[in-house]
Amino acid sequence: MSINSLFSPESVFVSEKTSSEAIFKEVSNKLFDEKCVKEAFFSEILKREKLYPTGIDTSPISENLPNIAVPHTEGEFVTTRLIVPVALKTPVCFKNMIAPDQDLQVKFLFMILNNDPEGQANILAQIMDFLRLTPVSKLQKLFNFTSTDKIYQFMSENFKK
Amino acid sequence: MSRQVKFIAACGAGVNSSHQIKDAVEAEMRKRGYNVKVDAYMIKDVNEDLLSKYDGYLTIAKTDLSFTPKIPLIDAGPILYRIPAMAKPVYDNVEKVVKEIN
Repeated sequence: MSINSLFSPESVFVSEKTSSEAIFKEVSNKLFDEKCVKEAFFSEILKREKLYPTGIDTSPISENLPNIAVPHTEGEFVTTRLIVPVALKTPVCFKNMIAPDQDLQVKFLFMILNNDPEGQANILAQIMDFLRLTPVSKLQKLFNFTSTDKIYQFMSENFKK
Repeated sequence: MSRQVKFIAACGAGVNSSHQIKDAVEAEMRKRGYNVKVDAYMIKDVNEDLLSKYDGYLTIAKTDLSFTPKIPLIDAGPILYRIPAMAKPVYDNVEKVVKEIN
């Protein structure tokens, strides 16, 4: 699998929405049009985030990084393996994955579409390695991009398999 | 010959976090010389009957179960960061359970 195949230039977002539900709606509609997800994806991802949140506190990696989230559903609601980057113009509140009673202000999403969890390397592990191994100054640039082209280009160049 | 020690890992979708913990714990325990198997599940499928088949439960978040598990619970969330210093205490806890069984 080539590096770029985990990203698609059409599936990158810069969102101005200010709630997780509105972001999920915007992204789900477009991903559905692109045939990357099934119709139930929006309600599933909303439900799943409430029950099992996916915010990740990045402070163990660096105090100088904004927090991220990795929303995802079970494999049956998607049709592909893809990471969907979503830059948020305004940080949005997510709950912490490993401490669900804790609120996190999140600035960037790496939504995971994975219809083949047993398949190849674990996508979440790859995202965490990307955060851990990319210099903080570079990641800060990524998290502040307001152009989907720039985000796609950055991910294609810097996301290592 | 020591027997295989079986753990369960569970997350919301049963796809990403639980698989990452499965892969990491199996690899580290192999490195430490133990025969450990981890099965990845969705949290909604975890019940008393299922847990009774395992030696330990690797949790990702504090999840409210409707019952008190009889097997050791190990907080494995820190493994997700893939930072060796954060993962080590989790692996040590897994090793402790494995040693008690064998």
